[in-house]
Amino acid sequence: MLELLDAWLLAPFDYGFMKRAFVAGLALSLAAPPLGVFLMLRGMSLIGDAMAHAILPGVALGFLFAGFSLPIMSLGGILSGLLVAVLAGSVSKMTGHREDSAMASFFLISLAAGVMLVSLGGSSVDLTHVLFGSILAVNTTALVLIATISSLIVIILAVIFRALVVECLDPLFLGGQGVRGGLVHGVFLGLVVLNLTAGFQTLGTLMAVGLMMLPATTARFWSKRLEGLIGIAVAIAMVASTGGLLLSYHLSLPSGPAIILLAGAAYLLSALLGRHHSLRERLQRRASPLGAPDSH
Amino acid sequence: MSRLQLHDLQLARGGQTVLEHLDGRFQDGAITALIGANGAGKSTLIAAIMGMLTPVAGSVACQVPRERRAWLPQQLALDLTFPMSVEELIMTGTWPSHGALKGYCAAHYRRGREIMARLGISQLAHRQLGELSGGQRQRALLGRTLMQEAELLLLDEPFANVDIETVDVLMDVLRDMARQGATIIVVLHDMEQLSRLADDVLFLAGGHGRWVSPDSLLDRYAGQPPRAPRLPLTFPESLDAGTA
Repeated sequence: MLELLDAWLLAPFDYGFMKRAFVAGLALSLAAPPLGVFLMLRGMSLIGDAMAHAILPGVALGFLFAGFSLPIMSLGGILSGLLVAVLAGSVSKMTGHREDSAMASFFLISLAAGVMLVSLGGSSVDLTHVLFGSILAVNTTALVLIATISSLIVIILAVIFRALVVECLDPLFLGGQGVRGGLVHGVFLGLVVLNLTAGFQTLGTLMAVGLMMLPATTARFWSKRLEGLIGIAVAIAMVASTGGLLLSYHLSLPSGPAIILLAGAAYLLSALLGRHHSLRERLQRRASPLGAPDSH
Repeated sequence: MSRLQLHDLQLARGGQTVLEHLDGRFQDGAITALIGANGAGKSTLIAAIMGMLTPVAGSVACQVPRERRAWLPQQLALDLTFPMSVEELIMTGTWPSHGALKGYCAAHYRRGREIMARLGISQLAHRQLGELSGGQRQRALLGRTLMQEAELLLLDEPFANVDIETVDVLMDVLRDMARQGATIIVVLHDMEQLSRLADDVLFLAGGHGRWVSPDSLLDRYAGQPPRAPRLPLTFPESLDAGTA
């Protein structure tokens, strides 16, 4: 039995590429889910998807100029993601249209421009790599970059955490204290862009958002507290990224989709069996008698 | 004494002037009722006093430090789906003075428990905001301003959709805060509440403001229109059983 466990769980990590992929997955799992939780709570779950497309032209331009250099491609991704976020915010303010419609317009333009640029400069294999990533191809340089960006995200999120919470709940309270809610919102969107840029090497621009949103939406079935949501989301992301890697190794599956599908399976299971708002909870719900102790 | 004064104030929204030539002093330790029809400019004036709307002309002179100014908006302004308990909401009141990074200490939690007891919501400390009734939520929000030790408090229709018992608790707390020197401005639509609470009245209409005394307002409008008797909240002993 122990031998089987060793063969399934530990032996794969004797390989350097698996070790690097494991650490990269853990780093992303620490940084991405807390952002996903806030996106979900702000009703912006699809904004992450839009931003994932927004980094594509920058990544593609970096690829055209410097070949497959992760630092240059990441820099391009950060710049184009931030540019699209600022442009969408500005157009929304100027026209009075909702920010999500401006964001949708810009991300569609970005996606088309990005695919066009990659196609002009490389083969369809390169395009596949940019869109879907390859966590098993993470080298030491990429790993350092991913770990640095993830650490930076966690630190900045800790600094703005209280302001972010107050801004989500009651923006007027924050504004009354002279803190510009737009600034907090802008920094938060910047962190989302940073995270997606760190994630595109491992999961690709399209699926990097999966490790951010799926654990967050899954956690909603298990906790009603913010700290609980974040802790559970991080744990789910870690299990999904490690489990996905192992499945990919043993069953010869593509690693990125294996990770995201595992997180997706956790979501579906939680929707059926979770503690809050799940199908099971709805079927078993009973009103507690008056005077019963508070269950929260 | 007045730490809040308006000087020939002109305010606009979307390029349209809402209020102009507004002057006056809000007395320290007094409760001023802000009244007027919908769209008269009450919320616009509150936004200007909170420093969130720049006047077109004139000025708002406020000597109360920003971290001691509190605004209790209408409840619709809150995101009630956000996962936060009553105790956590009240603790956010420390944030303006305590800073964004420091953790809460035992004294903060003790003060929080005292405030919840004062407002009669101790048993709701760990309840999520989305699970509260309108009255319970309003008590929790007032608890945040107590935690903030607000010296200037602006309340936008604080008694809307809350039960009579909650109105009584909120009024007692507001009166206590005023006695301790706080300047309180309350948007009201109810004459009975105005008669119980207001020391002063600023009446907004037609883009202008006029200071009136509560007594003159009550003399003029008392009994018009006639108020329906209050509904009981408990089963009166004398109530006859129905035939159904």
